[in-house]
Amino acid sequence: MATAAPVAVSINGVGKSFLVRRSFWDTVLHPFRREWSRALNEVSLDIHRGEFFGLLGPNGAGKTTLFKILATLVTADHGTASVEGFDVVSAASRVRELLTPVIADERSLRWRLTAKENLRLYATLYGLPSREVKGRVDEILNLVGLEDTGRKMVGRFSSGMKQRLLIGRALIPKPRVLLLDEPTRSLDPVTARTIRNFLRQEICKRLGCTVLLATHSADEAFELCDRVAILNHGEIVAVGPTEQLVLSFSDDRYRLWTRTPHHAAFDDLLTAGIASRTTLHEADTDGWGLVDMDVPGGLDRASDAVGFLVGRGVTVARFERARLSLGELIQRAVQKQTGGNRA
Amino acid sequence: MRKVFALMRANWLTALSYRVNMFFTYTGLVVGIVPLYFISHALQPMMAATIKTESPEFFAFLIVGMVTHQFVSMSVNSLHGALSSEIGSGSFEALMSTPTPLPALLLGMIGQAFTMTSLRTLVLSVAALAFGAHVVWHGVIPALLILGLIILSYLPFGIFSASLVLAFRATGPFPGGVVTASALLGGVYYPTQVIPAWIAVFSKFIPLTYGLRSLRRSLLDGAPLSASAADLGIVGVATVVLMVLSLATFIKALSYAKHSGTLTQY
Repeated sequence: MATAAPVAVSINGVGKSFLVRRSFWDTVLHPFRREWSRALNEVSLDIHRGEFFGLLGPNGAGKTTLFKILATLVTADHGTASVEGFDVVSAASRVRELLTPVIADERSLRWRLTAKENLRLYATLYGLPSREVKGRVDEILNLVGLEDTGRKMVGRFSSGMKQRLLIGRALIPKPRVLLLDEPTRSLDPVTARTIRNFLRQEICKRLGCTVLLATHSADEAFELCDRVAILNHGEIVAVGPTEQLVLSFSDDRYRLWTRTPHHAAFDDLLTAGIASRTTLHEADTDGWGLVDMDVPGGLDRASDAVGFLVGRGVTVARFERARLSLGELIQRAVQKQTGGNRA
Repeated sequence: MRKVFALMRANWLTALSYRVNMFFTYTGLVVGIVPLYFISHALQPMMAATIKTESPEFFAFLIVGMVTHQFVSMSVNSLHGALSSEIGSGSFEALMSTPTPLPALLLGMIGQAFTMTSLRTLVLSVAALAFGAHVVWHGVIPALLILGLIILSYLPFGIFSASLVLAFRATGPFPGGVVTASALLGGVYYPTQVIPAWIAVFSKFIPLTYGLRSLRRSLLDGAPLSASAADLGIVGVATVVLMVLSLATFIKALSYAKHSGTLTQY
């Protein structure tokens, strides 16, 4: 994805706070007191056309609020946001033609109707001409693999089928921007993988859609996203290309495969001050052991560590930078909170 | 209008999928008219004098009152009911994310309730005619126009209630109070002249009092519209004033809901 592509979604200094719901007695005793909870604080982002952009962060970080602001369902307290140049407040109707959200859960489908009837309703609501509705509905059903559901009511669908229908519903108007809030939650791993492939191949590559994805899934974030932003307490704490971000936060952790994981050289590595920590994992059935080690000082120092071990007779099959889990990435980014970054 | 009809169609298909419920609704209407017929005929001698300016017979008087009240109840309750249901199911968020104008969404939401009420009242009316209810046929068209005005005059109460749902997720006793007060003081089951004086003053503030009186005069007594000009004028003015106030309230509630983040909160 070339970042030189035109900006599809622009978010400038957006802030949003919500009134905190208080207990009955607290409200009676202090009727005029107001407590606010900050959901977003000065968030600024530019997302480029055709980009697959991930929003990561712990629960309550502000991801869904940001999505709802872009979907024109919530008004920001301050700041501006635009989609393809149209302001989400003053040109809300135009924005809704260009951007579709998959932020509602499967209950938002009409369970007593068929998939076809559900899509037909939304095709009309999205303003498709009558003569195009049937063709588009069939096309979408094929695209999301629900063409054989016939007269089956949506209420009888599996969670995976409902999720695919939700995504299909959002694709009806051929949106320029798609908002996906945890699209594979509650799906089994196989279905989740199918959905991820579908999102990458069909939505992003074939249809050229700009996608904003809020997720807690490492697979989604690492497999799909060109860039990710990490939100914490309503602030962007890190933003950048996914691989780069992962590497930048996993700076000193390396992983080594060896047949001699109990070699005394690993203790010498600590004594010599090259590594600050080594962790031995159980050997696999082939006898290969895995050792995690923290080697501060960058790649040159890591190279020294390998040389040190090999020089003392350790057989090294593979040595690489350890990949952070999503949880670790978010945790480290939050700890290192830089704030106010602009993508 | 295509969007309005699309929503109505989807809601109808949903309602029709509950076949047993549909069957009992309409069967109940037809069966329920039998005791009504006998009770109204038993009360005819007692009521004849008080209803003579509106209808020669109490059975037809009662049926017209009930039919009209069903539309009043629909006007007041359908919008906030549909809104609560759409918000509760999460589909309001999906509907609001489409470029469909809000008035079209709201019309589409209540469209099914309107057609359902029309069908129910049609069944009730046909059953009443079969039981011998007397109507002046040339008064049907004016009566339908008056019914339309009554519906319009009560829609603002529905919009007020919907505003409460948008802003606070609850309507409180407001819609129920309006519907009950209209039934008791608007002349649905008995003419307003028989209401005790100390409470009769309140019936003057109820649009149904004037609308229903005009409707019965046209449909059951054959009076021309001009005979009810004063009554219809009052309903018309009330409709305009209430409509403006209710729409302003709704816009305010929508803006509040978007700011407070409660627009799509279950």
